[in-house]
Amino acid sequence: MTAPVQPPPAGVARFRTRLLLAMMLVVSAATALSLFFAQRHVAAAAQRSLNQEFQDALASLHAVQAVRDAVLAERCRTLARRPRIHAALEDNALDLLYPSSEDELSDVREGAAGPAGERETYALRARFYRFLDRRGAVLSPPDPAREGALAPAEEAALALPGAPGRPQTGYLARSAGGAEPVDEVIAMPIVSTETGEVIAALVLGFKPLELAGAPTDAALRSGVWLDGRLHLPALGAPARAAVAARIARALAAGGPGEASFPIDVEGTPSLLFCLRLNPGSLYPPAYQVSIYPLTAAVARQRRLTWQFLAAGGLLLLGAFAASELLAVRLSAPVEQLAVKSEADRVGRRQAEAALELTSEELQRSARFSADASHQLKTPVTVLRAGLEELLASEILPPETREELAALVHQTFRLTSVIEDLLLLSRMDAGRLQIDFRRVDLTPLVEAWLDDWGALPDGRDLAVETDIPPALVVSGEARYLTLILQNLLENARKYSRTGGRVRIAAWAEGPWAILRIANNGDPIPPAAQAHIFERFHRGPVGENVPGHGLGLNLARELARLHRGDLRLARSDEAWTEFEVRFRLADPAPAAAPEVR
Amino acid sequence: MKPARPLLLLALLLAPARPGRAETAVEGTVALPKSPAAPVMVKRYEIVAKAGVLSTYPPVAVVYLEGEFPKAASLPVEQVAQQNFAFVPALLAIRAGTRVEFPNRDDTYHNIFSYSPAKRFDLGRYRPDERPIPSVLFDTPGLVVLRCDIHEHMRGLILVLDTPYWVVTGTDGRYRLSGLPPGHHTLKVWLDSHTTLSRTVDLAPDTTLRADFP
Repeated sequence: MTAPVQPPPAGVARFRTRLLLAMMLVVSAATALSLFFAQRHVAAAAQRSLNQEFQDALASLHAVQAVRDAVLAERCRTLARRPRIHAALEDNALDLLYPSSEDELSDVREGAAGPAGERETYALRARFYRFLDRRGAVLSPPDPAREGALAPAEEAALALPGAPGRPQTGYLARSAGGAEPVDEVIAMPIVSTETGEVIAALVLGFKPLELAGAPTDAALRSGVWLDGRLHLPALGAPARAAVAARIARALAAGGPGEASFPIDVEGTPSLLFCLRLNPGSLYPPAYQVSIYPLTAAVARQRRLTWQFLAAGGLLLLGAFAASELLAVRLSAPVEQLAVKSEADRVGRRQAEAALELTSEELQRSARFSADASHQLKTPVTVLRAGLEELLASEILPPETREELAALVHQTFRLTSVIEDLLLLSRMDAGRLQIDFRRVDLTPLVEAWLDDWGALPDGRDLAVETDIPPALVVSGEARYLTLILQNLLENARKYSRTGGRVRIAAWAEGPWAILRIANNGDPIPPAAQAHIFERFHRGPVGENVPGHGLGLNLARELARLHRGDLRLARSDEAWTEFEVRFRLADPAPAAAPEVR
Repeated sequence: MKPARPLLLLALLLAPARPGRAETAVEGTVALPKSPAAPVMVKRYEIVAKAGVLSTYPPVAVVYLEGEFPKAASLPVEQVAQQNFAFVPALLAIRAGTRVEFPNRDDTYHNIFSYSPAKRFDLGRYRPDERPIPSVLFDTPGLVVLRCDIHEHMRGLILVLDTPYWVVTGTDGRYRLSGLPPGHHTLKVWLDSHTTLSRTVDLAPDTTLRADFP
């Protein structure tokens, strides 16, 4: 049955390979996916952080602007309340407007007061200022040098469609010098204290606030996009024009609010952010433009990519190794199963064949027994009937009749053997069903003992009985009788003349136990093992009637009754058989009767 | 110069008391803008501005006769005081060439100035005890808006006229301008800083002409 360890069959190897391939595929896909997402995430995060940086910087710029605007608004309110300014505006004395405001605005104007160092940094210092009249037209100062000189075109650019109701932020491209600097312009409304109307506006020009660029990224370049032109001195003119055009396109496409896109600036891949500086203003829109060169980011990204790839490769290798291990581990039971099932199949086939053979033999032998019994029964009956007829006729001499009587007796033996064989063959064929009922053993034994007394026998046996008044077992009466008959018959047969037969019965647990003993010649130990075999007869009695089926039949029947029959002892004193049956009403947990 | 003023006042006071006496005059009613819920107890005029137009509150008008009149040899000095952070009177009509004093009757500084084309001046800051009382000679006809550089809400009006004949209407718009030279003249009504009505009148000697505006 034990199959030798074979190399795994082809199917199992294929299974293992397929398993490994599937796992590698899954692992590769998972690695690639995670790499892809991780890199995308990192790239997006980098851009997001840049964007955030820009937005933060711009937000702080706006915050500073807001503070400055609030201060200026307050100053304008104060200014607008100044009776002289009011008088100049309301009493048709515009020539006195600038002279009157000089004192008021002296602390706002650059260079008018304060140390020189402070001037550069102080965000509240105006480079120039102008008044707009009620209609938004610029009131030219009589002496522009005092209010900050402006070219006529620049001054005209300050005009608004009307004096604004709210502060307006604008940007003014200065033509002075080649650098094309941009000044930030704030138009603050001047509201009449008398009427609550906006009667004029004060326009102040400032050096634009510097975008608080990320200090880590010194390469950040930032400027202002105004009217289709990019004012970013750090950039060469051609690049500037190209970027400006690109911004104009992006703004036209993506709405007026903001834009951010990657762009190549002078051969450097960069990220460009632009956000409107003066949302909602009456002045032309101006955009803060920041260009982050991505060289560092790209290098970082490339490094990251390599790291990712290396990590992915290592991961993949590890995963492949793990896959291999796992595939082996997973397929091992399958292999074992395959081997085992192969061995099993062989074994089973053999067993089945053997079983079939045995069954066939058994069937054949059982059938043979049955057939033989039936075939024998009829001639025996015919024989007996003939003999009895002869016996009944008066013509034969008495000695012949005696022999005939002996022959008739032999036919009875023959019938008995045949019946036993028939019964055995039915049992062998599994066709004997016990019809379990409640049967009292005591009357059976007593009836037999009664018959026994009537037997013409010169053995002079003393029979001792120790039987309870009733011992109800579960079984079928005719087979129980047969068992008892066989045992008692045996006891009688094998007793020595003048011997004793002892019959004892009791209930013990679920069992009804019956012991039948006789004293006669002991069964030799060598023969004890075989006494229950068919056609075995003890060596003692060739003269003893019997055919070697009784004990076998009794034991088979006892076992069919879920009981048993055994030889309890066999020595010089006693040969004792013990048969046990199931009690019909087992004593519930009662202390068993100890004998 | 000083005694002339009481005499003039006396003359003005006596004039309505002698209605029987014939004189050349013009009288009538100026339709004044309705002032919603006119406070009756207001005794002095305040200057109010609406859409950049200055007028008195409650509304009054100045009726004056325009023409070529001989120059006066001397004109009395008028006064516009600063009292309780307001100009008193808020509206003063004077003949060109009149000097107006601006006494400070508040216990604080005032700084009277004007950017009006008719007269630009700036008296600077001064206290009530400033002597001599700061004064300005108004020699150009026109409307002068008085302001205080310290108290932005203070407004006063001085209507400088090129005529000796003018009168301020009552708050009901009624006026009587008497002692006029007979002849062909232009009668004007100043209503506010942007509105002056005018019509020609032929004044017959010793008769009272009725002229309503508009």
